[in-house]
Amino acid sequence: MRYLYFPGCTLSTKAKGFAASGEASARALGIDLVELSQWNCCGATFPLATDNLLALVAPTRILLNAQKEGNHLVALCSICYHVLKRTNRLLREETDKREKLNLFIEEEYRGEVRVFHLLELLREEIGFEELSERVQKRLQGLRVAPYYGCLLLRPFQEIGLDDPEEPRILDDLLASLGCEVVEFSHKTECCGSYLAMNSSEVTRELSYAILHSALASGAQAVVTSCPLCHFNLDYRQGEMAAHYPGFTQIPVLYFTQLLGLALGIESETFGLADHHVDPRPLLASKGLK
Amino acid sequence: MEISETVVRVDPSFLQEVNQRSGQLIQLCYHCHKCTAGCPVAFAMDYGPDRVLRMIQFGLKEQVLGSSAIWICASCETCGTRCPNEIDIARIMDALRQITVEEGLPTKERNVLLFHKLFLSIVKRLGRMHEASLMALYMPLSRNLFSYIPIGVKMIVKGKIPLLPHRIKGSDEVKKIFERSG
Repeated sequence: MRYLYFPGCTLSTKAKGFAASGEASARALGIDLVELSQWNCCGATFPLATDNLLALVAPTRILLNAQKEGNHLVALCSICYHVLKRTNRLLREETDKREKLNLFIEEEYRGEVRVFHLLELLREEIGFEELSERVQKRLQGLRVAPYYGCLLLRPFQEIGLDDPEEPRILDDLLASLGCEVVEFSHKTECCGSYLAMNSSEVTRELSYAILHSALASGAQAVVTSCPLCHFNLDYRQGEMAAHYPGFTQIPVLYFTQLLGLALGIESETFGLADHHVDPRPLLASKGLK
Repeated sequence: MEISETVVRVDPSFLQEVNQRSGQLIQLCYHCHKCTAGCPVAFAMDYGPDRVLRMIQFGLKEQVLGSSAIWICASCETCGTRCPNEIDIARIMDALRQITVEEGLPTKERNVLLFHKLFLSIVKRLGRMHEASLMALYMPLSRNLFSYIPIGVKMIVKGKIPLLPHRIKGSDEVKKIFERSG
C-alpha cells in the first residue's frame, strides 16, 4: 500500500528517530510512506478565532500539494496531524471560508484528501490482532504508560480519532506488541505545549505531574506520538530532578520506536541515543536493543 | 465629582464582539466551573476560564484583554471537551488574543506573542521551522538569555538541532503569501 506522507519540520530535525522508526516500521508492514515532493511548515497551531483565515493558508497549501499526488496524507506528529485534519474538515464543510482560501491561493481545493495518523492506519489498515501476529520480538515485561496528550484527541468532533476521555488506540497498539500497558491518571492531560518557551515552570509542573502519575502506576517508560510532548516530558527531566526531591527519571519513547523494535528492525536509526533519559539500559534489560 | 483612576469601564458591545469572533455563545455559560476544574494551567492564570467568561458577560474588556489567562491558555481543549453547554472556550481565548494584538494593547505575557511572531518570521524566510534560528532570536529578545542554554547545548550535541537551516523548494512562494497578507 502506498500512502503520501507529511513528515513536518520537527521530524526532519529534533525527532529524526521518530521519522526513521515510523517509516521503517510502516515499510515492514507493507505500508509505503512516500514523502510529499513539496511541503512547508503546517503552522503548528490551528487558528481558533473565526476570522483568522490566514493561518489556514499553510496547511491548505500542504493539502493541495497532497491532492496533486494522491488521495491520502499520513502524519506521525500529533501537531501536524491535528492542524491538517482540522483544516481539511473546514475546507470540506465551511463553504464560505473555503471560497476565500481558494481565492487567496488561486487554486481549487475542497477537502477531498483523507488525513490519517499512522496510529489510525495501523488500527484500520492492518488491525492490532494482525499486527500482534507480525511481531517478531514481543516486548514482554516492558511496563509502559501510553500518553496521548491533547492534540491527538481534542476536539473530538473534528479529530474523531478516539474517545477524548478514555482513548484506547495507543493502549491497544502497545498491548499488541506484547507490552504490559498500565492505566495512569494523566494520560490525556496537557504537557504545557509551547508554554515551554514562555513559562517553563508551568510546563515543568504539568510534565512532572504526568510523569509522576506514570511512575506511580508502575510504568518503566512513557510512550507518546508528539515531538513537543516528548521534549517537555524528556528534556525537562534534568530540571525536574533538581526541583522535585525523590523524582526518578523515566525514559520517554515514541510509539514507533517500540513498534520497530517489536518488528525486529535494526534500531540504529531510531535515535534512541538522542533522548535526554537514555532508554537503552531499560530496553537492554528486557533483551531489546 | 472627581472620577478615580480605578473606575471600572464597561463595554456593552464586548460580549457580542467576542461571540462573533469565536463563533460561540458566551451567554450560555452558567458558571458551573467545570472548565476551570479541569484546566491544567488554571493554577498559573490570574483568572480561571470561567471567570474570563463571566468578565466578558459583564463587558469588562480591559481587564479581560489585559489578563495573563488569555496567553497562558495552551489550547489543549480540555474545557471545550467537558463544557455541559458545549462552549469551545479555547476558541474564545484565541479570539481574545487576536483582538488584543489588533488593537495594539499591551500584553500581559509579552514573550508568548514574541515567540509566535518569531516563529512566523522564520517560516516566512525558510518555509519551514528551524529551531536554532528561532532560539538565537528568542533568547535575547525575550531577555531569557541563559535559561535555555543547557538544554539547547545538549540538544545540539545530540544532533537534535541542526545548526544550518534547510530552505524548501518554493520558499519564494511562501514569502509571497506572507507579503500579500500584509
